Amino acid sequence: MDPALHSPGGRPAGPAPGAIRVLVADDEDDIRALVCLAVRKAGGQVVVAAPDGSTALSAAQAELPDLAVLDVSMPGATGLEVCAALRATPATAGIRILLLSAGASPDEVARGLAAGADAYLPKPFTVAGLVQQVRALAVREPVA
Amino acid sequence: MSLAVLDRPQGARSPWTRWSTGPEAAQAHLLGTVLFAAAAVLLLTRSIPVADGGLVLAGLAAASAATGAAWAARRARSAAGSVAVPAAQLGAVALLHAGTGSATTLLLLVGPLWALATQPDRRGLLVGVVGSAAVAAVPALTGSSPAGDLPGALLLGTLVVAAGSAAVHGTSRRLAAQARHIGQLEREQAALLAQVQSRADELDTASRILAARAQTMTSVIDAVTEQSIIGTDRDGTIRVWNPGAEKMLGVPRPEVVRTRSILDFHLPEELTAAAADRGCGTGLEALVHAAREHGSDVRDWTYVAADGSHRTVSVAITPRSDDRGTHAGWNFVGTDMTEARATERMKDQFVSLISHELRTPLSSILGYLELVMDDEDQPLTDEQRQYLSTVERNAQRLLRLVGDLLFTAQVESGRFTLQPADVDLAGVVRAAEETARVAAAAAGVQIVVDVPDDGLVVAGDAVRLGQACDNLVSNAVKFTPAGGRIDLVLRRGWRTPGGEVVDHDAPGAAPVALLSVADTGMGIPAGEQGQMFTRFFRTSNAQRNAVPGVGLGLTITKAITTAHGGTLDLESTEGVGTTFTMALPVGG
Repeated sequence: MDPALHSPGGRPAGPAPGAIRVLVADDEDDIRALVCLAVRKAGGQVVVAAPDGSTALSAAQAELPDLAVLDVSMPGATGLEVCAALRATPATAGIRILLLSAGASPDEVARGLAAGADAYLPKPFTVAGLVQQVRALAVREPVA
Repeated sequence: MSLAVLDRPQGARSPWTRWSTGPEAAQAHLLGTVLFAAAAVLLLTRSIPVADGGLVLAGLAAASAATGAAWAARRARSAAGSVAVPAAQLGAVALLHAGTGSATTLLLLVGPLWALATQPDRRGLLVGVVGSAAVAAVPALTGSSPAGDLPGALLLGTLVVAAGSAAVHGTSRRLAAQARHIGQLEREQAALLAQVQSRADELDTASRILAARAQTMTSVIDAVTEQSIIGTDRDGTIRVWNPGAEKMLGVPRPEVVRTRSILDFHLPEELTAAAADRGCGTGLEALVHAAREHGSDVRDWTYVAADGSHRTVSVAITPRSDDRGTHAGWNFVGTDMTEARATERMKDQFVSLISHELRTPLSSILGYLELVMDDEDQPLTDEQRQYLSTVERNAQRLLRLVGDLLFTAQVESGRFTLQPADVDLAGVVRAAEETARVAAAAAGVQIVVDVPDDGLVVAGDAVRLGQACDNLVSNAVKFTPAGGRIDLVLRRGWRTPGGEVVDHDAPGAAPVALLSVADTGMGIPAGEQGQMFTRFFRTSNAQRNAVPGVGLGLTITKAITTAHGGTLDLESTEGVGTTFTMALPVGG
């Protein structure tokens, strides 16, 4: 498993029983770790922390998480491509998807939602905002 | 026709003057002179017997004097003596006839009679007839011939002279009339010839001017080597192909003019897509549809060069008319934008890169700061919190700067888009006051809000309008010293057709929302007010007082206002304060 799975600061956040299982993908190590912390603060369990799009896609197909938090701009495959691929496969079509991107223009947000994302959070985001989004998606019914 | 008549205007000389100086008179004078000279010779040689020498000498003297007077009058171009001279010659003949009694002397009558018969009127004719009769009668009257011959001589002489003179006179008049008619015709012919020559000269001049213009036009078109100028018939057949087109598309003029269509240099799929977009026919119609509808059209098209390469060309298309105003074809003036468009794409990519590369580390900084500062398990000391607040404030400042730079780049590239919705500007103003409240309080500046209780709604982008209002209020706070005041006022107004903003309705005026931010700050020097909306411009006051900022806020505010169809104006007096007024159109 990717070392990024382990939370920085040496403060493990044990998942609550029945916690939402989350895949995190971002090519920036610091951001990926920050997202993992926010997921744990939201009560989620990070099952995969992937540094690129292709790893994220294969891990999602293997782990079938409840939620995927994907950066849009990643090597291998962009977050938009991973999103579309997940939606196109019946086994992964139900995974809830939160896109993170440095692109915050309305056009970019629209493209993200058109690719099948459930929510779109522009960078820089606040940890509180990300925690709120994860919690909101955790209680949302799966797409399929 | 005499030259004198042709050379001088009609009416400038009398008929007598014309006669006395005309060829008939000259001939008559010449004949008279010759005959008198011959008679003198005959008399001196006694070939004609002399009965009375005194009369003969008197006759010769009179003849000489009359002939001399006739030539003198002719040289002087005078009418004087036109009748008197022939009459005197008749007198001279009478004396000679009386002095000789010879019928031979009657031949001398021919000269003066001719002269009198060819006079323009009948006065000469009458003088001739009477005079001739008198001459014929002289011998009988003087007794040099039998008196019984007198009646017969008078009758016969008078009849012959009258008939001859009448015939000569009529002929002379007819000839004179014909000569005048011919003269008139010749004058008219000359005038017509002059007119024809004048018209020919004008035509020649016009032809040369047209040729010069055509040459000028051709040389101008041929001088354009960096833009393609292509002219076609209505069906798209190429008629004009300048060196710029040769250079851009790699095909020499002789290979395209009259033989190829403009469509040969376009991508068929692009024309098909354009036809679908515009709901018009394909081919040439897709190309010229907008120009046909609006009179002209400028947009990017892809030209296909001879080597198969594609050029992105900004093409201005206009209809072309012939000299009668009838639509004759189309003009296509193209500027190669291939490199420029590539540069724009690179700029887009650069902006995108900057967006990602600057925002991503800022995300880390702000995110981890938030984690540390909000960690309830490990609360910070006041000093630590103060330090980290400084870090956060500067990180936020850097983030705003990145956002402003990116936004300015978007405005410059024309890809700045709005998300239109109904926006209550009263809410925008209140929110701006709320945002600036802490900073204003820290600076000792009072903010007073005056907005309509029922709000004032405009069509616009709430986020961008909020950004514009925040910029104005933030600037006011920064430039107003402690103890100052900032008034945020929102009210209704009208914009007249002339562009003036007034506070009352006026004919043809459009309603606007007026959002003004007035401060009692340091003001803007008059000489710098015109540059206030220029990117990166900072006033001398800002620099002198070390007011933070990079000079992008007003540029962005102006761009946002303009994108909403509004205007942004400022009034400022140094040392008194500044008022920025944003006027935004109110829909409906």
